[in-house]
Amino acid sequence: MWFLAEGAGLPALREHLRARFQRWLVRRIPPARSVTLDQRRIFIFPSRVGFFFFACLLVMLVAAINYENNMSYALTFLLATLFVIAVLHSYANLSGLTLRALRAGEGFPRQLVPFSIGLACATRRGHHALWLGFEDDPEAVAVSVMPERGATVTLYREAGERGPFRPGRLRVESRYPLGLLRCWTWVDLDLVGLAYPRPLPYPEPLGSGAGQPRGRPARRPGEDEFFGLRDYRAGDRLRQVYWKGLARGQTLQSKQYAAGAASLDWLDWDAFPGIARERRLSFLCQQCLDLHRRGRRFGLRLPGNQLAAGAGDGQRDRVLRALGNFAPPPEAER
Amino acid sequence: MKAAQQIPRNALAWIILCQVLLLAPHGLRVPAWLLLLYLAAFGWRVQLYRNRLPAPTRWLKLVLIGAAMAGIGWSYGSLIGLEPTVALLLAAYALKLVESVSRKDAYVLIFLGFFLLITEFLFSQDLLIVVYASFVAWLLTAALVALHRTGEGFELAPLRVAGVMLAQAFPLMLVLFFLFPRIGPLWNVPIRAHAAQTGMSDFLRPGDVARLTQSTEVAFRARFAGEVPQARDLYWRGLVMSVLEDDTWRSLRFFEAPPAQRRPAPVEAVGAVLDYSVIIEPTQQHWLYALRYAEPQESGVMALADYTLYSPATLESERRYSVRSWPGAAIGLELDTWRRRLETRLPEGENPRALALARQLRAAADDDEAFIARVLALFREQPFRYTLQPPLLGDDPVDDFLFGTRAGFCEHYANAFAVLMRAAGVPARIVAGYQGGEINPMNGTVIVHQFDAHAWNEVWLEGQGWMRVDPTAAVSPARVEFGLETAVQGEGSFLAGSPLSPLRYRAVSWVNTLRLRYDALTYRWQSWVVGFDSERQVELLGKWFGRIDAKRFVAVLLGSFGVVLAAVALALLVRAGPRRDPLLRAWARLRARLVRAGVPVHAGDSPATVLARAQQRYPAAAADLGVLAEEFTALLYRPVGSGDLRRLQQRLRRLRLSSQ
Repeated sequence: MWFLAEGAGLPALREHLRARFQRWLVRRIPPARSVTLDQRRIFIFPSRVGFFFFACLLVMLVAAINYENNMSYALTFLLATLFVIAVLHSYANLSGLTLRALRAGEGFPRQLVPFSIGLACATRRGHHALWLGFEDDPEAVAVSVMPERGATVTLYREAGERGPFRPGRLRVESRYPLGLLRCWTWVDLDLVGLAYPRPLPYPEPLGSGAGQPRGRPARRPGEDEFFGLRDYRAGDRLRQVYWKGLARGQTLQSKQYAAGAASLDWLDWDAFPGIARERRLSFLCQQCLDLHRRGRRFGLRLPGNQLAAGAGDGQRDRVLRALGNFAPPPEAER
Repeated sequence: MKAAQQIPRNALAWIILCQVLLLAPHGLRVPAWLLLLYLAAFGWRVQLYRNRLPAPTRWLKLVLIGAAMAGIGWSYGSLIGLEPTVALLLAAYALKLVESVSRKDAYVLIFLGFFLLITEFLFSQDLLIVVYASFVAWLLTAALVALHRTGEGFELAPLRVAGVMLAQAFPLMLVLFFLFPRIGPLWNVPIRAHAAQTGMSDFLRPGDVARLTQSTEVAFRARFAGEVPQARDLYWRGLVMSVLEDDTWRSLRFFEAPPAQRRPAPVEAVGAVLDYSVIIEPTQQHWLYALRYAEPQESGVMALADYTLYSPATLESERRYSVRSWPGAAIGLELDTWRRRLETRLPEGENPRALALARQLRAAADDDEAFIARVLALFREQPFRYTLQPPLLGDDPVDDFLFGTRAGFCEHYANAFAVLMRAAGVPARIVAGYQGGEINPMNGTVIVHQFDAHAWNEVWLEGQGWMRVDPTAAVSPARVEFGLETAVQGEGSFLAGSPLSPLRYRAVSWVNTLRLRYDALTYRWQSWVVGFDSERQVELLGKWFGRIDAKRFVAVLLGSFGVVLAAVALALLVRAGPRRDPLLRAWARLRARLVRAGVPVHAGDSPATVLARAQQRYPAAAADLGVLAEEFTALLYRPVGSGDLRRLQQRLRRLRLSSQ
């Protein structure tokens, strides 16, 4: 038999069972952006506390038998049947819960990336004390969904290497109402997060106009020309704040510097020839971050993909996303 | 899955409440210092919660546990037995509260709470106790629910959830309760070694019965199959005392009798028959009470040589037994020499005047019967008094009593009578038990209280066997006819020690009715629930299901579980389904109405589109339809108040769709 074969020890057996379980799970609960829990998807089993409770019941039953005490019998049986009733209540607590993928996060490798999940309740009872977490992640978040009111839960997952990544199946678990039973499910909300390239310090780019604007000396951000004042916005850097005005009793204002309309830069795949793909993307990533910090306008040229020039946070995110998602056509791999 | 490990504040509040309620009924049973320990534990827990005090260290915990065990050993004299065990559990429960921080500890506290409820039942299964315990069980379940809720503020929802679940579990519990086979004890368990024995003891000293008559507690309840005999005929025999030593009467030990004399001699059962069952309250003793001549109707009840009934097992909880009695049958017709010697033996050199009197009276009488009549006449004619407060007697108590004080209670008369009989060579002994009883008109049971305790005599006569003689009846006929209360009316000593007992207010009609109703309820409770044993089980299941076999058992069990669980599932999953938005419901109704009226409606049409089409079809109602379209569209996109809905409903009712 397969598990008696040479070298197939216990770990192999466990691995085999795990794989089988995963395949079964995919068939039983296929990935979907929105899942409503029903009897196909809910598993239920006594928790450790449940087994402890059962042991207590046995002791109580022995006491009832030995003392031939009818009220002790009654209490023991009441608790035992409570356990049975609790199966239905535990199940009902998960049943009817709708989980929806709201937003998959993005981030740099090894960063914690947020995933937002919407919970909706269609019953009058609500869903109490749900614990949500990704598979093989010990961290979980508790949430209760009240009737006719939704809830949003944000879970964090560490991003892997560059590219799209799946956080894994979502574990939804509840021990409500008595803690004697563990009622859980594994849903795949088809969440796909994105890991950007890891930024790496880049060498002087080749050829025309990449890193530095042509014909102008490199300037440090503080040396950009003063442009004017505007009202302070959350997120403005402290050195930008017009402290003198504040001291004079004016409202909080920020100094604006013109980055210079002419300073259009291109992040170019071809600026780093002969470098491995991931490394190249890492250079571009760092470049993008530098340019954004300086408040420049910049665009991106990748094989098979070109992003028009732009500035600000939006442009940075667009560029990082393009870098993260980059999957080159085969001929570009040289 | 890693959970927030702390006990939620709500759950802690419920647990502490439960702990107080669990302790309360045990409160009088445990040493007072244990209550102080609880107070300290609560105080510490609260301060711990407020970060005013540190959690106990490991060695402090060990010291506390050791101290608690030592204290209990010191208070009870041992750690073995039910009472010390319960006290130990309670102490552990108090200490556990202090060290409880995590959810795991909370589970231990709650499950231990359920266990403590069971220990409470080992002491009493009284109806009130059971009601109280059910309430505590409800709170404990609520604590368990509260432990799993995430809400921050105080809420009563756990109570509701726990109540619903317990109510759903209740019918299943009943099924298990009646079907679960009642097997005997699996092994010997610690008994209530520290509980006071109640009722009669097998010693009788002057003053013992009088002390019993201060108690308002019920000794037992009896229910007769036929008519209840007159109160004066209800002599409930419990113990027969044949040995007089050191001014104390006691019953003969089983092994003091020669082997041939240990079993009752056969009795010719003739005359009227009484069938009845008795439910006796726990006494921690062995004897059972019955009218003579009694034959037990079940195993587990022994008949002794002196025709009393005996339970080999200590009566630790309520016990029900059935008896058949022949009041007219003669018992002990043959008196063997050994027994004659035993029943006429008197201590040497005591009560010389009484002995002389007895011999003198016997010599004057023709036979034993005439002698007995003479002695009873003596009690009747001389100024003897029946009192609950007799004066003290000296070294020769019978002499003092007969020639000095002449005031006493039943045991004084029984004692004096037996001594006089024996002095004249007539075999005589004392019977201790209860006399009379109160008939409860609600259910026809006879309630026998401790204050019905009585002592009388049996005298052996040739050809008649052991005859009952009650010298007290000669002194105070009212005692036997109407009971103790009437007999000591002039004295005001009836239940002098229990000013609040409802028995003292029997004259107040509604108090008495209430008391008797409750007693009838207690009887039902005891005979059907507390006294439910294997015999009752066989009887009951036989009545319900005809034949009792395993197949039927399992079918009933599974069937009842299936029905109840299906009903619960229906309530939980179907009825509690999504509640539809009233606005959408209203729109669905209008839409259906328009479809019936012939307006073309397609899936995905908005209310505005459909109503616009309806306007074309029914121009007469165009204005109304237009307003409705506006209303629906507006309400779909803003919060709906109850006033909005009412207005919409009125508009819908007013809407008339006529072709012209």
